[in-house]
Amino acid sequence: MAKEFSKPSPKLLEKTQHLMHEGFHTRAFPDTGHGLPEALGDARWTDELITATWYMAETGKCPDHLNYKTGRSGGGFDRLAFKSLPKDQHLAPDAEVDISLELNRREDGRNKRRIAVPWYGGGMSYGSVSINVMMSRALAAKKWDTLMSTGEGGYPEELYACKEHVITQVATGYFGVEEKSIQAAPIIEFKYAQGAKPGLGGHLLATKAGEEVAKMRGSVPFVSLFSPFPFHSTYSVEDHMKHLDWIKTINPTAMMSVKVSTPHDVDMVAVGSYYAGAHIIHLDGGFGGTGAAPEIAKKNIAMPIELAIPKVHKFMLKEGIRDKVTIIASGGIRTADDMAKAIALGADGCVLGTSDLVAMGCTRCANCEGGPSGRGCPWGLTTTDVELQEYVQQAWGAERLNMYYTALSSRIKEILRELGLSTIGQLRGRTDLLRYISGGEAE
Amino acid sequence: MLTTGANETSESVADAAVVNIPLPVVEQARLNRQRADTYHRYHIEATETEDRQKVPRRFNVKVGRFGLAKLLVKEFFKYFGHWDVVFSRPCTYGVFSGPVGGFKPRPDLCVGCLRCTVEHPDFVTVTHNPELAKLGDVYLTSKHIATIDEEAKKGTVPVRGQGYRGRFGGPGFDQMFTDMSEIVRPSRDGIHGRELIGTCVDLGSKPMYLSFAADGSLLNAPKMITIQVPFVFDEPSDVVGDGLVPRIYAKAAAEVDTLAFLPSDTVTRLGLAGPNVVPMIAAERIGGIDSFSNGTRMVEMTSWNAEAWATVADHPFLISVRLPFAGDWKTEMMQMIDAGVSIIHLVADHHGKADDGRFVMDLFQEAHFALVERGMRDEVTLIGSGGIAGADHLPKAIITGVDAVSLGHPLLLAMQAHLSGDLVTRGAAEVRLPESLDMEWGVQRIVNLSCSWRDQLLEILGAMGLREVRRLRGEIGRAMWCGDLEDEAFGEIEGYAGGVN
Repeated sequence: MAKEFSKPSPKLLEKTQHLMHEGFHTRAFPDTGHGLPEALGDARWTDELITATWYMAETGKCPDHLNYKTGRSGGGFDRLAFKSLPKDQHLAPDAEVDISLELNRREDGRNKRRIAVPWYGGGMSYGSVSINVMMSRALAAKKWDTLMSTGEGGYPEELYACKEHVITQVATGYFGVEEKSIQAAPIIEFKYAQGAKPGLGGHLLATKAGEEVAKMRGSVPFVSLFSPFPFHSTYSVEDHMKHLDWIKTINPTAMMSVKVSTPHDVDMVAVGSYYAGAHIIHLDGGFGGTGAAPEIAKKNIAMPIELAIPKVHKFMLKEGIRDKVTIIASGGIRTADDMAKAIALGADGCVLGTSDLVAMGCTRCANCEGGPSGRGCPWGLTTTDVELQEYVQQAWGAERLNMYYTALSSRIKEILRELGLSTIGQLRGRTDLLRYISGGEAE
Repeated sequence: MLTTGANETSESVADAAVVNIPLPVVEQARLNRQRADTYHRYHIEATETEDRQKVPRRFNVKVGRFGLAKLLVKEFFKYFGHWDVVFSRPCTYGVFSGPVGGFKPRPDLCVGCLRCTVEHPDFVTVTHNPELAKLGDVYLTSKHIATIDEEAKKGTVPVRGQGYRGRFGGPGFDQMFTDMSEIVRPSRDGIHGRELIGTCVDLGSKPMYLSFAADGSLLNAPKMITIQVPFVFDEPSDVVGDGLVPRIYAKAAAEVDTLAFLPSDTVTRLGLAGPNVVPMIAAERIGGIDSFSNGTRMVEMTSWNAEAWATVADHPFLISVRLPFAGDWKTEMMQMIDAGVSIIHLVADHHGKADDGRFVMDLFQEAHFALVERGMRDEVTLIGSGGIAGADHLPKAIITGVDAVSLGHPLLLAMQAHLSGDLVTRGAAEVRLPESLDMEWGVQRIVNLSCSWRDQLLEILGAMGLREVRRLRGEIGRAMWCGDLEDEAFGEIEGYAGGVN
């Protein structure tokens, strides 16, 4: 059993939070006299991207002194840029731009739901993250009239306060799935696979499955929990329809989202999901993921999201069903520019996970599964340690996300105006507005 | 009464005889039952085995003493009486938990969360350790080396959070993604449960049909052996080939139930001959293979020589022939096949390159499809060697057409060898092993690496829904090539001129 720690005293909490918050500021702002932390970042999430996200989460603005658009991975989004159109083709800087997104494109009597921004929060389960992180995201989703997903770890009671903005995820382990949480949700998300560990199911390490987490999941405390792969009741599209019928019986108005990974036949999977009744096809690419995953799975199994989006988009166009389904992309979406590029490649909107955490202070040290301390994230994000989780308070986290979403929103609007587009829907599939940078990274 | 023989006793054998079931059948059933009762699922016993030589740490941590002292004094007065605050540390990993705290940090414990340097940018600095970056070379990177070290230490699958951190595609094996299925598994029990995925491979020739004599006896029994993992241990370089290392390889191969390829002189001198050791013999000395006994099943001829081969072609040992990817290797391979060679050990340099610079993924495919075209793929085993530096390279090499791969540098790295100098040419690297290297430790480190790599292979196979690794061989349809996918995704975008890799 993991060693027990106690909640921090009010003084310790105050001191630690102060130091953390000051630190995020100091490292992200140019006038503090301190540069970026030397060991921060990697090819995908560079030091500049991480600190730019901190800057945006504090100010609601994109920084002039940091590259907040691209990383240095040498491919995909980092090699794509938008074309520079002549100024006379731009919209006026104050022109109204609509970036809202309708999620239900089927006329099937289910809920219609238009979210105010073309993104929502991806599934991070209670257990993989703390209740404070979960609530921060839910509160931000409420403020921005968008959504966030529970992940596969149950629906904590506190979340009901934001239930119109919470997607209930049903995944292969059925952890925490109950009638009440299905009835409460506007959207039910079936997670068939996730990009970081496609085909491998989920795994919550024993150290993170504490008393509360275990209670929520109906399991024994401090015992590792495996979410198997795949759904043991699904062998075909017809079996998938049975799942949807089951949900329909419990919640007749809920929309259905199907979250899948990006294998070779992802286009066929998407079409099958549509005919089974899905409103949202959620493609989760291989490079993202917030939870612990085998290193071998992250790079090697399934394809990056940039390569999967056009494949699915074009196939659905050919099938004549593209306008009846919403394609949501996740797994490697880091920035507003990534989102706009994903939409230009053929998605309707995106799901954010890692970038939410980075906005709340994540340095991507990768010790989410517990690390050598066994306590999880030292920043209090991906942990249920009673001391560490206190360092992220809900009001602070929600405000960080609020500011971050403000910056994302303004940047997406700026991109649209520079492309002469007045709605986000007009950008979908417009690869003619993109250019590929062959000899180096995009700006 | 008809009995199946599944639970036969000597009495029921007699009963069975009454109903005219011939005794050999009943006896066979009894033996089958006996074998089933002793069945155990193949498993590699990994045991955490501590490092014997210090691996360069990932990070350096520097703390300015004056800044720290100033902070401590300030906090002492500000939080006087709140000792939990005064003594709190900005590290959950113990970097500042030594006897004098931050005045003597313990950077070996640092995992790079950077909380200390974010909270105290005035006097705490965390940097990547340049000593770690110096390890390896452009192909066998410090990341590969650190990962192998972790795998050999713990014997587990490396698991981390927060997604992928590297380049989009890349050269070599990085240009391939492997496929997965949303709903198909080898079984319904999950990779962490009771699911059984086979990793054994056969070495030798499988006849395409069986032939029987008039009396019913089998004329062409398959001449092959089965090993439990699709990787073998290739010879250590001469530098470390003198005693302990070959013995470690031989013992580890026996524990894992694979094969250790070792120079024949070494095998003789150290008395290592056995079922899991493959003596490597020069063609001109191949006539001496009868000197190997003690259960030897296979030997390797170190170069192709048709005359030498003819003298041993019918020998009861399996005989593999080593074939470097050099010159007109394909013509030579076909000559070997025509002469009846059933196991070919294809060898590239340690960067996986042939003498013309081509990479093993292309070369393995060329060899594989040449055999497919001849309709002889199952009659010849291909072992591929060169460029295998990480667990993901194993399934990727098999997808491109080899039955098994042989490991070189990773085995030395599992024993914490420090490799320097020329890491491309075979046998050229300078190798420094831990001074305290001993048999038990070395064997366990290699066993751990084998366990970790096999488990990672299971992850790949499980995600694809494949029940055994033999079905992965040459399954190019299970590969997704980054360049092809980029062409498909970005082909119509202005400025795109082919994949970046």
